[in-house]
Amino acid sequence: MLKRLLLVRGTEILLFALLAAIPLAARSPYALGLLTLLAIYGILLIGLDVTVGYLGQVNLGQAAFLGLGAYTAGILTTRWGVGIPMSLLAAGAVCTAIGALLALPALRLEGPQFALATLSFLALTTTTLTELEWLTNGSQGLSLVRPPLLGVTLTPRLFFWLCLALLGVVWVAMRNLLSSQWGRAFEALRDSPIATDAMGVGTYRHKVAAFAFGSGLGGVAGALYAFNFEYLQPQSYVYELTVVLLLGVVLGGRKSLWGAFVGATLVALLPNLLSNPALFRAFAVAGFAMALVAGVRGLVRRSTRPFQALAPVVAMGVLVLGSFLEKNTEDWRKGIFALMLFSVVVGLPEGLMGFAAKALARLFRVEPPSLPPAAALDEVLPAMTAGAGPLLEVRGLQRHFGGVRAVDGVDLTVRDGTIHGLIGPNGSGKSTLVNVVSGLYTPTAGEILLRGVPLPRGSLFKAAQAGVARTFQNLQLFSGMTALENVMVALRGAYRTPLPLVLAGLGRTEERRAQAQALALLELVGLGGEARTPVKDLTYGAQRFLEMARALARKPELLVLDEPAAGLAHPDVVRQVEVIRRIHARGLTIVLIEHHMDVVTELCDVVTVLDGGRVIAEGRPDQVKRHPRVIAAYLGHPGTEAGEAGPAEGAPAVS
Amino acid sequence: MPFSIVAQIAVSGALMGLVYALVAYGFQLTYATSKSINFGQGELVMVSAFVSLTLINTGLPYWAVVPLGLLFGALLGLVVERTAVRLALEQKSEGWILLSIIVGLFFFSAAENIWGRDDRPFPTPIPSAPIRILGVEVTGLEISVLVGVLAIMGIIEVFKRKTLMGKAFEAVSADSDAARLMGVSASHTVMLSYALSGLVAAVAGILVSPITTVGPTMASAMILKAFSVAVVAGLDSGFGVVLVGVVLGALEGLASLYIGSGWREAPGLVLLILALAVRPTGVFGKSVIRKV
Repeated sequence: MLKRLLLVRGTEILLFALLAAIPLAARSPYALGLLTLLAIYGILLIGLDVTVGYLGQVNLGQAAFLGLGAYTAGILTTRWGVGIPMSLLAAGAVCTAIGALLALPALRLEGPQFALATLSFLALTTTTLTELEWLTNGSQGLSLVRPPLLGVTLTPRLFFWLCLALLGVVWVAMRNLLSSQWGRAFEALRDSPIATDAMGVGTYRHKVAAFAFGSGLGGVAGALYAFNFEYLQPQSYVYELTVVLLLGVVLGGRKSLWGAFVGATLVALLPNLLSNPALFRAFAVAGFAMALVAGVRGLVRRSTRPFQALAPVVAMGVLVLGSFLEKNTEDWRKGIFALMLFSVVVGLPEGLMGFAAKALARLFRVEPPSLPPAAALDEVLPAMTAGAGPLLEVRGLQRHFGGVRAVDGVDLTVRDGTIHGLIGPNGSGKSTLVNVVSGLYTPTAGEILLRGVPLPRGSLFKAAQAGVARTFQNLQLFSGMTALENVMVALRGAYRTPLPLVLAGLGRTEERRAQAQALALLELVGLGGEARTPVKDLTYGAQRFLEMARALARKPELLVLDEPAAGLAHPDVVRQVEVIRRIHARGLTIVLIEHHMDVVTELCDVVTVLDGGRVIAEGRPDQVKRHPRVIAAYLGHPGTEAGEAGPAEGAPAVS
Repeated sequence: MPFSIVAQIAVSGALMGLVYALVAYGFQLTYATSKSINFGQGELVMVSAFVSLTLINTGLPYWAVVPLGLLFGALLGLVVERTAVRLALEQKSEGWILLSIIVGLFFFSAAENIWGRDDRPFPTPIPSAPIRILGVEVTGLEISVLVGVLAIMGIIEVFKRKTLMGKAFEAVSADSDAARLMGVSASHTVMLSYALSGLVAAVAGILVSPITTVGPTMASAMILKAFSVAVVAGLDSGFGVVLVGVVLGALEGLASLYIGSGWREAPGLVLLILALAVRPTGVFGKSVIRKV
């Protein structure tokens, strides 16, 4: 614990102390300017990393938020004489708001469309800043004077310390945010947006919040940028800057505060590097050597593809040649960025800090903080007593895909406190039915009631909020996280600390409680010893159990298990039956889709059989098994076609 | 404002819009086979135009330069595929977004240093004298854009439908895995789509250069609008891009007429963001059913 504190926090404190001390020793205004820029870019890149690293989307709009923040501060100080603190706040607030507005449409998109939307926003911003001459002075530029802070005139040195202090605040706040439920939600939605919604976390709202937050940081950085340069031009915030910022994040290393810092250092130093031929040559040769060593190592160990090993060597080779042959390296600025970025993206996808972090983790083994003892099960999953009425009622439910009637008029009643089996041949509509109930699909027609209240339609998130939890036939775990974190993400009602307090680092106690609760659920499904294991290292069977624990973290009224035993080895099936029994003993109502008839027979109180999107039989397992239409549906029937089941109304009732 | 001027500006704008549509069509070609697009497509347009201009300056006749320019465009397309796209597709990542931006940036820098930063005229035998059609003046160059865009799109569509290679293309677009199981090489088809996309970019460059002049930044505004067209129409919408391109071009002309020339880029960008808010898959795009 102490070692961890010393190593991790100690290095950070050392870094900031060193940076703060430099201006005391070196009095060159040039160096001071670079340091100030470094701090500003640091804030900007931490903001950009939220979308690029944590949401995993290419964001080409961060330069626009830098510009918007800068102009907000510039206009406020020149027009209305607003001071530094209010300008910073206003720039942050304006950019957060605009970021949220842009995110609402843009984050419905993925990948290329999102990149395009942000790129368009950047172009639109530049146009607006140029054309709104009455406000921004257009392409002539806007001059401002850095206002005093609390009556003190800010010398460049004091201003640098202000920027550095703000970087420190942002750094700490970001770390607190990322180690809270918010950080887990960001990771989760990148791994599986569907499961994030189905666990009631809300993919969309977290994406919008993340983007708005990152944009707000861009705005704060922009305000500092304005106070630093005291002159603004719309042409400063263009495509090229956006690409350079991306270079910073990618080169430094995504999903890492240190990475953002290293990237910022590089971005701040680049112009300097390019204007000094000797320095540039040394840099190019060093890069080439690195690429060569990494490439040869990758080829020998066969850990990388040939292209991945060779392309960076070629690119850096071109850079070295260019550095010796070409005099005007400044003119080739973009080309040089391109070659460097290309080498890093291809050869070192995790960036410098990603690479360094791995190496350091091998050198210094730092134990993660110990886990609290598991909470009592009664606290996590209070025992429920069955009510009298039905829990789930489905009436006349239909879901069509074009001409395919996947669910074609299903009536279903699930009594409170029972295990209700749902069986039927492949393509009979079981999964579609469950997908409609859990909100993945909007029903074409029909009603779904949970305790007599209509269930929200067509929204996994809202259905989850209403008390339905589910597992997935094709596993939808958050593969980048540990078993414990998977459960913690889904914990209902465990996180009540408001965002500002989380940013201030006051969410730790509830974090411990959430860990204890999640641990209790892992123990319930028999994974108590695997809490720290990354999901991708769990066995297939363990992953199935983990999905159950995660669904239970929702403290649901209705638990839907979609073929939980599919693909399991026999011993695991036996264990699973045991686990489902234990869950049921807590008073939970369970809908179980299953092909293993022995599992169904052993567990279910009632079984509904579907075929061709309709109910063909319902009753106790042993009754259903003997039902002629069920036998016909599974095995075919002499004289009738198996797939063509008649209407459910005509079927003889069994129960 | 007299109606004839408004009509004139709308028609000229619409004809420019066809060029956006053509570049957007290039995005569709690669999106169909690999769900990826080249973010540096504008640089392909620009570099192809520069190379064609250089060839013309060596004394080659225009009509001999055109096929060479197209060939060069196709080659550049292949370079993009090899350097920026293939690795990312093999890793099933979206790294191609960043990599294609990077490769485009390199082309841009190279063009700046090889050909200089100034805009240069692009000589052409096509007459630029205006002709009056229904009270609207149209130049020969504008007509060449209309004919050229529709011709190249038509040829590629016929190629896709009538030849074996084209059918392989369609098969990979419909279901890449199934096509692979049927013995169609998906990676060759992706290469083909990038070559075609580069060729289309070269056509756009050669058609538009006589009107806009040739310079490193000639395509940077155009490419944004082509993106808008592609996304608004939907990246899998076939000829929807033509309609959206024409409408956008006309809107753009009208915006610069009524709001001010500095705002001419704005309608496309606003349209893009709005269209996305309403229909993320594009106006003519197919909606996708989520599966678990």
